[in-house]
Amino acid sequence: MNVLNHKKKLILIGLLIAIIALAGCNEATGDEDAGELVVYSARNENFVDALLQKFHEDTGIEVQALHGGDTVVNRVKEESNNVQGDIFISNDVGALEHLRIEGLLEPIEREDFPGIDEQYRGEDNSWVALSARTRVLMYNKDLITEEEMPKNIWDLTDPQYEGAFAITRGGNGGMIGHVSALRNEWGDQRTMEWIEGVKDNAGGILQGHGDIRRAVGAGEFKFGLVNNYYFHQQLQEPSNNNVDVIYPDQGDDEMGAVVNAAGFGRIKEGPNAKSVNVFVDWILEAENQQMFSNASLEVPINPDIEVIEGARAISEYKVQGMSLRELGDVWEDTRRLIEESGLDLEIR
Amino acid sequence: MIRRAPLKKRKISSFMGRVPPNPLLTVISILVALFMSIPIIYVGFRGIFAGSERWLRLLDGRIPQLLLNTLGLTAVVVFFSTVIGVSLAIAVTRCNVPGRKIFSWLLVLPLIIPPYVGAVTYIMIFGPMGPLGSWFQIYSFSGVAFVLTIFTYPYVFLVVRSALKRMNRNLEEAGRSLGLDNLGVFLKVNLPLLRPSIGAGAILVALYVLSDFGAISMLRYNTFTSAIYYQMGGYDNVSATILSLVLIILTVGVLWLEARVGRKTAYFQADSSYRTLEILDIGKWRYPLVGVILLVIGVTIIIPLGVILYWSWIGIARGALDGRFWGYLMNSLQVSLLAGGLSMVFAFPIVYLKSRYPSKFTTILQRLSYSGYALPGVIVALGIIFLFNRYIPVLYGSSFVIVIAYLIRFLPQSMQSSSASLEMIPPKIDEAARNLGEPFWKVIFKVILPLMLPGLFAGGALVFVSSMKELPATLLLRPPNFDTLAVRVWVEASEAVYHMAAPAALIIIIVSIVPIKFLLDKY
Repeated sequence: MNVLNHKKKLILIGLLIAIIALAGCNEATGDEDAGELVVYSARNENFVDALLQKFHEDTGIEVQALHGGDTVVNRVKEESNNVQGDIFISNDVGALEHLRIEGLLEPIEREDFPGIDEQYRGEDNSWVALSARTRVLMYNKDLITEEEMPKNIWDLTDPQYEGAFAITRGGNGGMIGHVSALRNEWGDQRTMEWIEGVKDNAGGILQGHGDIRRAVGAGEFKFGLVNNYYFHQQLQEPSNNNVDVIYPDQGDDEMGAVVNAAGFGRIKEGPNAKSVNVFVDWILEAENQQMFSNASLEVPINPDIEVIEGARAISEYKVQGMSLRELGDVWEDTRRLIEESGLDLEIR
Repeated sequence: MIRRAPLKKRKISSFMGRVPPNPLLTVISILVALFMSIPIIYVGFRGIFAGSERWLRLLDGRIPQLLLNTLGLTAVVVFFSTVIGVSLAIAVTRCNVPGRKIFSWLLVLPLIIPPYVGAVTYIMIFGPMGPLGSWFQIYSFSGVAFVLTIFTYPYVFLVVRSALKRMNRNLEEAGRSLGLDNLGVFLKVNLPLLRPSIGAGAILVALYVLSDFGAISMLRYNTFTSAIYYQMGGYDNVSATILSLVLIILTVGVLWLEARVGRKTAYFQADSSYRTLEILDIGKWRYPLVGVILLVIGVTIIIPLGVILYWSWIGIARGALDGRFWGYLMNSLQVSLLAGGLSMVFAFPIVYLKSRYPSKFTTILQRLSYSGYALPGVIVALGIIFLFNRYIPVLYGSSFVIVIAYLIRFLPQSMQSSSASLEMIPPKIDEAARNLGEPFWKVIFKVILPLMLPGLFAGGALVFVSSMKELPATLLLRPPNFDTLAVRVWVEASEAVYHMAAPAALIIIIVSIVPIKFLLDKY
C-alpha cells in the first residue's frame, strides 16, 4: 500500500537533501580560531561595517559581526561561561567599564597605546577608547533661534520648553553616561529632579539618537539632546539640514559639556586570541583610528589625529570633569535611578 | 500484597491509557514535549525566585504602568477588530453585496502582511518624513491601535464568517415564526450562536497583541513584550524574567478564557436538516456597504502593498538587491526550512500517541508542546539564552538556536495540521496492518506516514512561513553575521532607510501568501 508516486518521492528526497545541505553549511561556519574574529558591536552598523571590511582586506581575517545595539552587553554577560565574542565595540565607556568590573573583559597585552592617554583606557588595559562624543543640543534653525535656545542642561526642565524637544530613552548608553555625570556634579536628589522634569517636559522620548536627529531636522521638534556627531551627520543630509548646535553649560560657573567615548574591549576568553592581537595592532594604527572616528563624524581621542572638518576638538570647549573611568563604578546606581524614574522604558 | 499490585497497575494504566506498543515513540514524544516547554518553564521559575527586592521595585512602579498599557491596548484592539471583523463577515455572507465572493477572500488578505511590516508602511506614510506626516501622529496610542486593528481583524472575520456559513436556516425561521423581526432574529438567534466564534476570534487577536514586539516597538509604544526586550537591552535579565512571568500569567488567563468559552457554548446542529442561510436584500444600503468594504481593503491591503512596492522599486533601482541581500535571504531560508522540516518530524510522535493512545499522559505531552505557542518570542529567546548557555553550550552560538526557537514557537501549527490528517485515517487501518504481522515501525512508515503526508507537509509549510516572518527571537538569538530578512526589515526601518527595508518586506509578504489558501480551506 504505497500512495507515494515517484514524483512526490523525488520532491521529498530533494527537500530532505536541501535541508541537510543547509544544515551542513551552518556547521561549517562554526570553526574555531581559523583566521576568524567575532565582533559584538553596540554601535550603529553603518559606522562599523566599512571599518571591519577594511580590517578583513588588510589582514585576511574573516570577521563575524553582530550588530546588536545595547542588547550586546547582556549577551556578553549571559555567555560568560560559553564565550562567543572576541571584541566588544561600545558607544559608551560606562558599558566597557561595567563589563571590566564584572570580570568579563581581559587585559590587552601590550606596552604602548599610541596617542591614547591612560585615562581613556581601562586600568588593566582591557578596553581602549578611540573617539569622543559630547552631549549637545541640536536645534532646527527654522523653528528656534540661538537666543531662544536653552544654554544649559538644567534648563530642559524649564516649562517654557515644554513639548519642544526630544531625548532618548533612559536605557540608551549615551543617556546613562550623561546621567552618571550629572549625579557626579549634582548628587542623586537633584539629578532625580532633573530626570523627572525632563521626562515630563520632553515632547518626544525616542528610541535612539538617530531618530532625534531626523526628527529635529524634519521639524518634528525644535531641538534635541544628542551627541555632537549627530549634528554633523544631519548637516550632511541632502535635505532637512538647517540645524545648528549649542554646547551646553559653557559659562564660568557651569559644569561644562558632558563627554563620553566609544571604543573597544577585549572579551575574556574569547575564542580567537590570535585574531584579537592582530585586530588590536591594526585598530591602533593611525589611519584606522581615524577611520573609526570619521565613520560617525566623531572626534578622535588621539590628539595627533586630524579632526574631521567641521567637528570641534575637545580642547575647544569646556568639559565636565568626571573621569570616564568612573562611569563603570556608578553604572548600576545610575541605572537604578533611571529605572525608578521610569525613563528607561518611557517612549513616546 | 496480592491485592495491592493490580490496584496500583490500574492507576497507572488509567493515567497512561492503553500503553503504546513502542517505547521509542513514547521516549521521543516525552523528549520533544520537554524540549518545547522547558525554556519557558525555566523563565517562569527564575522569575519566581528573582528576589523580593526586585519584585517590590517592579511592582511599585513598572508593572502597574505596563499592565495599564498592555491591557488598554489589548482591549481597544480586540474591541475594534471584533466590530470590524463581525460586521464584515455578516456583510459578505448575509447581505446581497455585489462582489461578495471576491470580497470575502480579499478581506482575509491583510494576514499576509506581518504587523511589523504594516507598521513600517504606515510610518512611511504618516511618519515625520512621510508625505502625510502632519495629518496624523502615527507614534501614538491611536497609531498603534490603528495598525494592530487593521492587521488583526481578519482573525475575527475568518472565524465568524465560517460560523455564519455553517449556520442553519431552520433556526432563523423558527425565530421568525415566533414573531421576531430581522433585528430580533439577529439578536436572539444569530448572535448567541455566533458567540463562541466571536470569542475565539477575539482571543486570537488578544493573544497576538500580548505577544507582538515588532509593530509595537516600531510605533514607540510599550507593552510587557517590548519592555522585556528593553529590559534585556538594559542588561537586566532578572527583571526581564519577572516581567515575563507576569506576561505568562496574562497569557494563561486569556487561554483559560478561551477554554471556558469553548466548553460552555458548544452548539450542535443536526446535519440532516441543514439548509443554507438566505441572503438578505438590503436594498440601496448595498452601495455604501461596498464603499466601506473597499475602504477597508484599501487601508489594509492596497495602501500597504503600494507603499512597499514603491519603496522596493526605489531600493532595487539603487541596488538594494546586492550580494548581502541574497545572503539574508539564504539565512532566512536556511533556518525556516530547517524549522519546517524538523517540525514535521517532531510533530508526528506526539500527534500519533495522542490520537491512537489517548490518555491523561498523552494529553499532558500535547499541552507541554503547546506552551511556546501563545507566548511572545522574547520569552522563548530569554529561556533559550539561559538554558543553552548554561547546560547545552555546544548548540548555542550557531543558527541552530534560532531553529529551536522557531520550533518552540510554531511546532503546534504543524501538530494541528498533521493531527487533522491523522484523524481522517481510521485506527482500524493501523490495526489491520499490524494484525497481518507487520512490525510497528513498518506500519508507520509504509501505511500511516504516506497517508498523512499532505497534512504533514501543510504543517511544515505553515511553520516555514511563520519562521520567515519571525522577528523578536531571531533578533535576540542570531549569531554574528547572521541577519535574516525580518531582522533587516527591522534594522533598516528603525534607521529610516526605507528603500532597503522594503525589498526584504516584499519577499516576506510573498512567502506569506502560501498559508492563506490553507486558512481559507480550513475556515
